[in-house]
Amino acid sequence: MTKSKILCVLLLGGVAAPLVAQSTKDLKTSVALKKAAYNVDKYVSEIFRRKKLAVPKVVDDPSFLRRSFLVAAGRIPTLEEASSFLEIEDPAKREILTQYLLQSDGYRSHMQNYVFDLLRAKDNNRDGAQAYAAPYMNFVQKSVGKNIPWDQFAHSLISAKGIAWEDGNGAVGYYIRDKGMPLDNLALTMQIFTGERLECAQCHDSPTNKWERMDFYELAAFTHGQREINEGVWNRAMRSYNDEDFRRSDIGRLFYWLRDNIHYGTIADQGAGRIKLPSDYQYKDGDPGEMIGGRTHFGKKIRSSDRRDSGKSRIEFADWMTKDNPNFNYIAVNRMWERVMGSPLTYPVDVYVKPEKTASPPLTNYLTRLMVDLDYDLKAFQNVLFLTKTFQFAANPKAFEAGVPQAFNGRQLERMSAEQIWDSLVTLVADKPDNLAKRKFSNNIYYNNKPILVGEKTMSDLAKEVVAIKDPKIYREYAEALLEKIKSGGGGSSASKDMMMMAAKSRPGPANGIARASELSAPAPAGHFLREFGQSDRELIESSTKEANVAQILEIMNGHVEKMVVANKGASVYGALEKGSTAADKARYIYYAILSRPPSSSEMNMLMRDVIDGSKESYENLVAALVQTHEFMFIQ
Amino acid sequence: MDNSSFNKADDLGRRQFMINAARSYLGVSLAPMLGAGIAGSAFGQKQVGGAKAEHVIFLNMGGGMSHLDTFDTKPGNKEAQGPVESIDTSGDFQISQYLPESAKIGNKMCVINSMTSKQGAHSQGQYLLHRSYSPRGTIVHPALGAWVVRQKGRKNATLPGFVTANTSPAVSSPGFFGAQFGGVPLGRPDEGLKNSTRAGSVSEEDFKKRLAIADALNKTFEENYQTPAVKAYDSLYEEAVKLMQSKDLEAFDINKEPGSVQNSYGKDRFGQGCLLARRLVESGVRFIEVSHGGWDTHYDNFTNVENRAKTLDKAFSALVADLDKRGLLESTLVVIATEFGRTPRIVEEHNSGRDHHPACFSAVMAGGGVAGGQKYGETDESGARVAKDPVTIQDFNATIGYALGIDHTQVVSSPSGRPFRLGGAEAELGKPISSIFG
Repeated sequence: MTKSKILCVLLLGGVAAPLVAQSTKDLKTSVALKKAAYNVDKYVSEIFRRKKLAVPKVVDDPSFLRRSFLVAAGRIPTLEEASSFLEIEDPAKREILTQYLLQSDGYRSHMQNYVFDLLRAKDNNRDGAQAYAAPYMNFVQKSVGKNIPWDQFAHSLISAKGIAWEDGNGAVGYYIRDKGMPLDNLALTMQIFTGERLECAQCHDSPTNKWERMDFYELAAFTHGQREINEGVWNRAMRSYNDEDFRRSDIGRLFYWLRDNIHYGTIADQGAGRIKLPSDYQYKDGDPGEMIGGRTHFGKKIRSSDRRDSGKSRIEFADWMTKDNPNFNYIAVNRMWERVMGSPLTYPVDVYVKPEKTASPPLTNYLTRLMVDLDYDLKAFQNVLFLTKTFQFAANPKAFEAGVPQAFNGRQLERMSAEQIWDSLVTLVADKPDNLAKRKFSNNIYYNNKPILVGEKTMSDLAKEVVAIKDPKIYREYAEALLEKIKSGGGGSSASKDMMMMAAKSRPGPANGIARASELSAPAPAGHFLREFGQSDRELIESSTKEANVAQILEIMNGHVEKMVVANKGASVYGALEKGSTAADKARYIYYAILSRPPSSSEMNMLMRDVIDGSKESYENLVAALVQTHEFMFIQ
Repeated sequence: MDNSSFNKADDLGRRQFMINAARSYLGVSLAPMLGAGIAGSAFGQKQVGGAKAEHVIFLNMGGGMSHLDTFDTKPGNKEAQGPVESIDTSGDFQISQYLPESAKIGNKMCVINSMTSKQGAHSQGQYLLHRSYSPRGTIVHPALGAWVVRQKGRKNATLPGFVTANTSPAVSSPGFFGAQFGGVPLGRPDEGLKNSTRAGSVSEEDFKKRLAIADALNKTFEENYQTPAVKAYDSLYEEAVKLMQSKDLEAFDINKEPGSVQNSYGKDRFGQGCLLARRLVESGVRFIEVSHGGWDTHYDNFTNVENRAKTLDKAFSALVADLDKRGLLESTLVVIATEFGRTPRIVEEHNSGRDHHPACFSAVMAGGGVAGGQKYGETDESGARVAKDPVTIQDFNATIGYALGIDHTQVVSSPSGRPFRLGGAEAELGKPISSIFG
């Protein structure tokens, strides 16, 4: 067996398949991806030549290993992964590693964090209520897992309609996330996908950019009209009880549960295509309350009528946004460049810049064309970037200075994200961090944390029946019959009762305990390790932070790191003690597991002389100290 | 990093290691270092303004608190007001029926009804509220709490000067001032400051040894990467160890309070956060921010505001009364603030929701030398526009500075030499509302 094959077996479990199936265009073969990477490097090297700058050095194997793991899979390598990579000489090993990482579930997990953050996705639709966003979260998780092309993904969010619980229709959750604030939702859509910042123009002509309030409303016309299906029926049925204590009664509780979990997550049509100007409209080009139609201001020109509801303007809007739209293409490119290289081509990552204003117009043009040619396959696009020399440039030791384009000049030193830190600690605990518990989705009906009507009806069935009712009287009868059924134990055959016994007690959802960050509740509860290290609260866009604070240090010294990792005898990091026969070997493997590199000779001298005395405590001290180092906390 | 650089670096010999170990975290040796920078005297600034306040408790109503349904009711305008009734207070003004306990302490508070801003988006609005500046891509401006700690210095050298509860770290970050001025975030007030004692599984000797090993190993890294982010972690390790040794750690433990006191604030996260804030004030913490989110009531405004207000009402009234009883109200400025208000228009199709409305909104100040029982500024009959004495966010923050005796016009330069002030940019520089002080 050649060494290269040995590496493949170790990392890939013997399957050295190409990353992506051969596409008809042959653009996703490993040869084609490598060629694209070569082209990217060619353009980048031209920047250096033009500016007469020295091209940064390429990193050594340990740095490449650690960087690749954190950037592609969101965690450090395990001891086994690190030693397979470090201890084999093979010129192709960097490519093989990239392939391994992009195929791993770690890629999905890390990418899922990214998309959840971008969409401010939360497990609960309404604070204080038990209103599950489960179908939406599942939709995003599945889409990332299947590597659904970015244009398709965006299109399904923007054009979504119907019932969130209906099988495969979770995309509706995109609008439900921002229910009641469709204008904010539109501003965010524009920011996320097109890199145009319209949030100021929502209320007034923007003093800082080109957008006027009229422009905002012309765009809002396309997404306007997000009424619930058969809106008002629930309300009239509820009012027919005319009972002050209704909300506390059994039937009242069921009513509110139906509202929060079913009606709340429905949208009747696909966009009115027109909207009224607000009552405080203050400019001469329109009157307060005037009905206006939709109009776009960049990309293709499309319009919608101000005379009648379109019923499908969100489809037209989604088409406009995702097909041949230079903004959409550039922002997707800029985001992926930032993700892989550490800094975007242009700052901020979500502001559109014309190619001619970027550091290298030919590179920008090449990358946007590549994104289109790869059919918005983000994994394949990132694969190209991972294969470049540019990705392998040594970290730039200078402090980050905002405003200076850094995209090609060697990676900025950066603290790990909260999720990367957590997932790296999880890696020190579990041998196979990508195989830990995942978020679960169930279409069963859970009421008061009990499964009901198991084997008889799913949430999808129930939702379809409930929202189809147009008569409040019939609605009331339906709800009362449903309550009877729940009270009598769910009805159904004995077979379905068996199935009920097997169903989980409460609704399956996020995982608990030791699991990847992407699988825990979103966002993690206040006070959780992830939040202390700056995980976004998913209220405001981009509100994650990598800043240091004292609570983090206490957590590292006395909290999770100690309890979960250092004092945990079963933690995978202590596999190093079995793997190594001598004290020096044991210490070296601990280094592999935590810092993904061997100790330097002077470090080893110090360890052997001052730190390791063979006792369990001395190894624990080494583990704790290495997690406390800056080298652990920062990505080089 | 190039691995060989480890070998080239100074040999980490025994002597080096022992020096590091000795230098590291042995309590006493830290005092001079931190004492000079943070504790003790402030950064050479003149005392201005009221200067009665020594502490601030900043209650952040995230999401945009409806002024009409809280502190700026319009009993004469049913269309804008909806179903909410106005009630009398012990001060010279009315407030919403949702705030009955606060009404009783109206004589202690000053309601500002003429807040106005141009930021109608949450992120930008919260940023402005905390920093007196609009967000820019090239700098992170320091949060108010960081300004106060920097300009006033710490009162208690072993406790942090700035603590936040229920608050996103992104909202209250110290920006270019650096981590030593940042807020210590507490996820759950009832859990206090977690992990502030050594884990039972670690001996004191091992604890020190670990820090010393890490410190020794960090040397090469620090030589290669002298970035603020790296330095921040360095300084915070020292700070954290000092905090662990503080005799005042109990200040973080609200379980030391009698059950009746805990109940009086409300047994929810915001109420317990306010109780914690009072304890921290007693121990000399300068600035405590407690957040109470969920005010973004586009949908079902009245149900949601009623729920939010209930929590606020109980906690705020208990806090002010408790501070007063303990003689701390004069030296503690309690502030209720939000990023913007909500529209007089009630959106029927969103189950009676209200949208964002930065043109006018309300804030409250109590204690810290502010005269109670008064109202400052007015809005028009529908609560749509400021009718009298507009107050910008910069004015509001300058007023907080004034109460503390901080010169809000004093320039502090960023590392790149750009000038910044607590009161905002020169063109928008805030003016303190000095007339509300007694």
